[in-house]
Order: sequence, then C-alpha cells, then structure tokens
Amino acid sequence: MGGGVVLLGSACTDEKKPSPNPPAAPPKPAPKVGDTPTATHKSFTAEQWAVLVAAVDRVIPRDEDPGALDANVPQYIDEALTAQQLKKMQLDFANGLNALNRRCERMYKTGFATATAEQQDDVLTIAFKDAPESTGEYKWYDILLSLTLEGYLGDPSYGGNKNKVGWKLVGFDLVGREAGEVAPDYEGKKALDHLRCGSGKGC
Amino acid sequence: MAKDPVDIVIIGSGAGGGPMAFELTKAGHKVVVLEKGPHYQQSDFVHDEILNSRRNFFMPLPWDEPHLLRSGNTNFKHSNDAWTANCVGGGTVHMSGYFYRLKPVDFRLRTELGAVKGANLADWPITYEELEPFYEKAEYELGVSGNAVPHPMLEPRKKNYPLPPLRSHPIGDEIDKVCKGLGWHSIPTARGILSREHQGRAPCTYCTLCGSYGCEHGAKASTNASLIPRALATGNLDLRPKCMAKEITVDAKGNCKSVIYIDPEGVEQEQPAKYVIVSCTAVESARLLLMSKSSRFPNGLGNDSGQLGKNLMFSSFGESRAHFKVSTTKERWPWLAESREPFVNRSLQDFYWMPDDKFGFRKGGTLGFMWTHPNPIFAAAHIAGRGEKGVFGKALKDRLREYRDSKILQFEIYGEFLPTDGTNVTLSDKSPTKDGKVVTDKYGLPVAAITVTRHPLDLTMTKFLVERGEEVLQSLNPDRVQRLGVAGETMILQSGTARMGKDPATSFLDRDCRSHVVKNLYVVDGSFMPTSGGVPVTLTIAANSFRVAKSFNERLKKEGK
Repeated sequence: MGGGVVLLGSACTDEKKPSPNPPAAPPKPAPKVGDTPTATHKSFTAEQWAVLVAAVDRVIPRDEDPGALDANVPQYIDEALTAQQLKKMQLDFANGLNALNRRCERMYKTGFATATAEQQDDVLTIAFKDAPESTGEYKWYDILLSLTLEGYLGDPSYGGNKNKVGWKLVGFDLVGREAGEVAPDYEGKKALDHLRCGSGKGC
Repeated sequence: MAKDPVDIVIIGSGAGGGPMAFELTKAGHKVVVLEKGPHYQQSDFVHDEILNSRRNFFMPLPWDEPHLLRSGNTNFKHSNDAWTANCVGGGTVHMSGYFYRLKPVDFRLRTELGAVKGANLADWPITYEELEPFYEKAEYELGVSGNAVPHPMLEPRKKNYPLPPLRSHPIGDEIDKVCKGLGWHSIPTARGILSREHQGRAPCTYCTLCGSYGCEHGAKASTNASLIPRALATGNLDLRPKCMAKEITVDAKGNCKSVIYIDPEGVEQEQPAKYVIVSCTAVESARLLLMSKSSRFPNGLGNDSGQLGKNLMFSSFGESRAHFKVSTTKERWPWLAESREPFVNRSLQDFYWMPDDKFGFRKGGTLGFMWTHPNPIFAAAHIAGRGEKGVFGKALKDRLREYRDSKILQFEIYGEFLPTDGTNVTLSDKSPTKDGKVVTDKYGLPVAAITVTRHPLDLTMTKFLVERGEEVLQSLNPDRVQRLGVAGETMILQSGTARMGKDPATSFLDRDCRSHVVKNLYVVDGSFMPTSGGVPVTLTIAANSFRVAKSFNERLKKEGK
C-alpha cells in the first residue's frame, strides 16, 4: 500500500550495523600510498573505489543495454554516502568493500578489481548475497544492491542514471507524461540537504 | 519556563488531528497544534523517489527513531515499520487515499460473532448510524471522488460522494466483466483525490506518482491540503511544526496540565493547556501516553485500566499480481499499450461479511485492484529479490527488460485484524537488550516496542480473499499470476491501543473519545477503534474526529457558561 517507502533497504534497520569482516579474515594489509580518500572520491580510498567500480559493474553489467558504469553509479554512491546522516553506512560500506577484496584474494589469489567476471560473480554470490540473513555479508550486499539501484534508477540530478539510461531500461521514461518529470533545474541533493539541516522552505 | 497557557493543544495533524484543528478553530477557539514533522508546502512535493521514499522526507531514519518490532515472543528487532509520514498532515500526505467507509456490522462484531477464542472482540459504543453524518462531512471537507453503486455490502448512506469518480483505466471494465461472470460485484473505489476543483483546490492531473508522494497540486485529500490551510486562515491556529511532544503532565487532581515538547532548536518547552487532544497514530499515541508517567498515573496517563497500548490492530494484508506482456496482449487489448491512466479503482466487498462460517470465518474485508507502484527503484529491488533467490547481473537485466514490457495488475487485501492479547505497544524501557541497554531515539526517549501475534482466523480469512482475488486475475488471462503473500499486515494502517467503550475497566476512552479518568484528555487517531474493520482506517479516523469535535465543541460551550 502506498508503494515503496523502504528508505535504504531493510538492511539499515538492524541494530547491529553491517560489519562484514569475516571472522577468519587475515589482518588488514598496510595502507598503500594514495590509500586515502582523494579529491576524486569523497567516500572511498582509491583501492575501495576500484572494488566498487568492479562490483557495480557485475550487479548491472553493460550488455546490449547500458550498465551501472554507463549510468555513473559509482559516482552516485560516492556522493550519496557523503551525507552526514549516512556516515555510519559510509564507514560500514567502505569496510565491506575491503572485505570483498580480501575474500577474493583468499579465494582466487587476486584482488576483486582484477579478478575475472566469473570469479567476481562467485565471490559476490557465495560470500555475500547467499550469506545467512543475520550476517554482515548479507546486509552489505543488500546495501550494495540498494545503492546501485538508486544510482541506476534514481533522479538524474543526483549524478547517477546518466542520460536516464536506467529509466529507459525499465520503461519508466514512458510512465505518465508527467510522472518522471521534475523541474529542469531541480537538484535532489539540495532538497536532501535541506532535509538534513532543517532549513528547507517547508520547515 | 512555561509558555502562556492556551485552551487546547492538539498533538499531531493527520487524519485525526486535522479535523479537530479545523472544527475547533472554526468555532473560535485558540488552538496550538504540535506536529513532530515539518510543514511541507506543495512546492516541496517533487517526483523524486530518492527524496520521497528512500530518505527521511516522510519517515524517520531507523537509527534516529527506531521502532522495536517482534513477532510473538521472539526478540525485538529494530524496524522502521509502523511509522506514517512525519509532517503536517501525517499519513494523509503520502497515502493513496482509498477512502472506504466501515459497514454497520463493524460496530457490533462481538454481538454478531459471539466470543471468539483468543480475540478480544468488543462492540463499539456507537453505531454506524451515529457516525454516518460525519462520514458525509469528512467526505465533503476532505474531498472524496467516487460513485456509491448498489451492491450487497453497500453501507447505508444519505448522499452519494461529493465528487464524481476519477477516470479509470480500461482494465477496470475488464475486471467488471469477469467479476460479473464470477457472480461478484466489482465496485468503483472511492478516492481521497479530487476529480474536479473543490473548495478552491485544483483537481488531480493523473500524474501516476500518487501513493508515497505528496501531491504538488493539493488534489489529494491530505489534511495539509484540505483542512489545515482553512484552520490557519481563521487566525486561531498556532501551528508548530518540528515540535516533538514527549510528555503530558498532570495537576494534583490528575487532569492534564501541560505538554512538554522539544522545539525545532532542540530546546524543551512547556505548553500549559486546558485540554489536550492526542493524535499521533495508534502506536505513537500509546507511546506518548505511556511515557507520561506521574505519581497519580505510574503506568501511563489515564491508564488505570491497564488497557493502554493493548489490542493494537493493523490491517490484514495479502497480495497477488497478474503480469501482462504488453507486446503480446496488445493484440487482444490494444489499449494496454496506449492507455496511461494510472487508476484502476475497482474493489470487491462480496466477502466482507460471510453469511455463515462455511469457509472458516465470517468477518472478511475488501479487495482493492490497482497497477503496481511505478517507483522504479522500488520495483527493481523487488524484481532483484533477496538471498539465494535473488539475482544480479545479466539475469537482473533480463528481468528488468521483461518488466519494461509488462503491465502488472495487483490487488491488496484490507482485512479484519482481530485484536489479541499478543498484539500491543509497550515502551522499550520494559524490554532492555541483553546487555541491559534501553533503546532510545535521537531525543533520548524510549521508543515504541511493538509485538504482533496474529489470530489464526485472520490468516484463514486473508488466504480465502487472496484466492478469490486470484480467480479474478486468472479470469483476465494474464501471462502469469504471482502470489506475494497471504499472512501480512499493513502497518501504516493502525488502530486500537486506547479503545473506546462503556466500561472504564475494559476500555481507555469513553464514547466521545475522552479518557474515562482524565477528563480533559482526548485521543482521536485510530487508537479509539475497538475493532479494525475491513477497509483502510483513514476515512473512519477523519469522520470520527469530526464527530468528536462536535461533542467537544458542545462541551466547551456548556463549560463556557
């Protein structure tokens, strides 16, 4: 009823925030040079960024229709997680990217970004998507999927869904002449900022 | 320091608080409305799914203001279920506006059914006939579009709807045909949406994104669009958005003295008042009253009976979907590809009240038919699925392409939800976590802890209704029918927790929705309802609030003399 008020997906409702560090994980490798958030990436290290790019490319790959990378999904996620209220989610999600990378290294002796598509799919599926519901891995995958779909199918003013490629794939560009339309100068990010700081005109 | 005293404070501005604010200010009383959410204007309502549905535009974020939720005797989990919109207008802002009335039988279910084991059935202390004029008033003041066609379960009504029905999609005619063939009565669904201009408000533009959005034209029957502006225009309403009530204090006699609230700057304020009217949803009103402890009321304000928070009800929910491939179905139904009409607006109430218990139950509910919600992120998340059944990659894209070539018709059940001992609201401080911590919200207050224990009859009934709905869907020859659930509950539709009744030992409110023991305390959201009814509660909450406003105004007149 009402349709789709799910906030960020069910994962975010758990009292225990996702902590997808597998118990048997090896110690975290020493940070490499450049292993800090860069001017280009607001929410991720360069290494995390590479893993994120590879992961969303597996969730919605490019085939005869554009994929997540064509829609600028990584850029969307990078920006979305700068929100103050999502700070904890940003930390957990970034840690999850590290965990995904470590898991891939253990399974295939290569980092996630450099693994084959088949290996990437296996790690994502076995270690995360199909993990038991109570685990951090399951919840991390849920957030990955949620954020990827937001970046692919959300309002383009947030930086994703570039050229409305996501809307075209699902036919949302055809839904109602007005339904998908917002004012040309609308910026979702600004509306969200108003929500956060409480200074919106509706407040 | 306390603010200057006022006559009346209303806490909440939705389907319950809105009509009270409207009627009392119109009668010349000075009213303060405390609303925990912001006061959105029409220009704030934008067709942006991320803003509206996936952040805290309407619903609080679960780490800011969680609910605790559990099924039966299991452990509580954090949840953002059982919130309705936190803003001026409350749930009426983001509702779909399915505006059905209750039926006469709903007011005397205990008498009709007798004692049902495991269910705390009670007759209402009022009849349908007493509420009928206020349904009419609510339909007019909020603006309801529909057509009351004759059918076996049609409730007695003096007038048809104030506005003609909205346009509907051609699939509605097909539903009419197959229902007729099945011997059932497909009826137009009345909507809290304007089909034409009404009281200076613009009509619906058929934009498609309706439920879960605020209407940028003010065509939806939210109290924010219909009643609050007119209450403000009287000059008697002091509307205070972003003000979170945390306690109602009492004087030495045990009457309400003031409302303590947290203002938009985070500063605690005290508003003394002669009368306090609570309308924050059944869950949140119970929470506020339970938090309002004093030496006179150690178990919550007015809670001498111990009934506060008990007999919480939702709406029994079931859902199935029929998938039509547009590319192939268009040969049969050329309009399927062409029509962009958003509304199906058909309902079935043939199973609202069964003549006997041949199928294991007598009190049923309503089936409402509609297109699935077009929100693309919401749709895609559903399509992707979760866990081992979930897909990603090429499989996900193939399913999304299939979705593009689909029209998906669904029905929802709004079924009776029997009140049980096992479905209730308590405070989180009664249920600390294993390490002894109390879950609190961003204000540091204990949160509502909700326990849901379904009565087996609800499940028997819902499954039966889902099966009948599927007969309708199958008769339309879709490519496939998909069952989504037969045992759910719609948690934005809430009632109970402060039920009204004649006996102060077994009810919290009297027939005027006034506390049996605290003589200047009223509760006017769905909390008052002794039974849930088989329709969404919104119109009934509004109608009842108009009814209470009338008796309250009469009381004020008398006490003024």
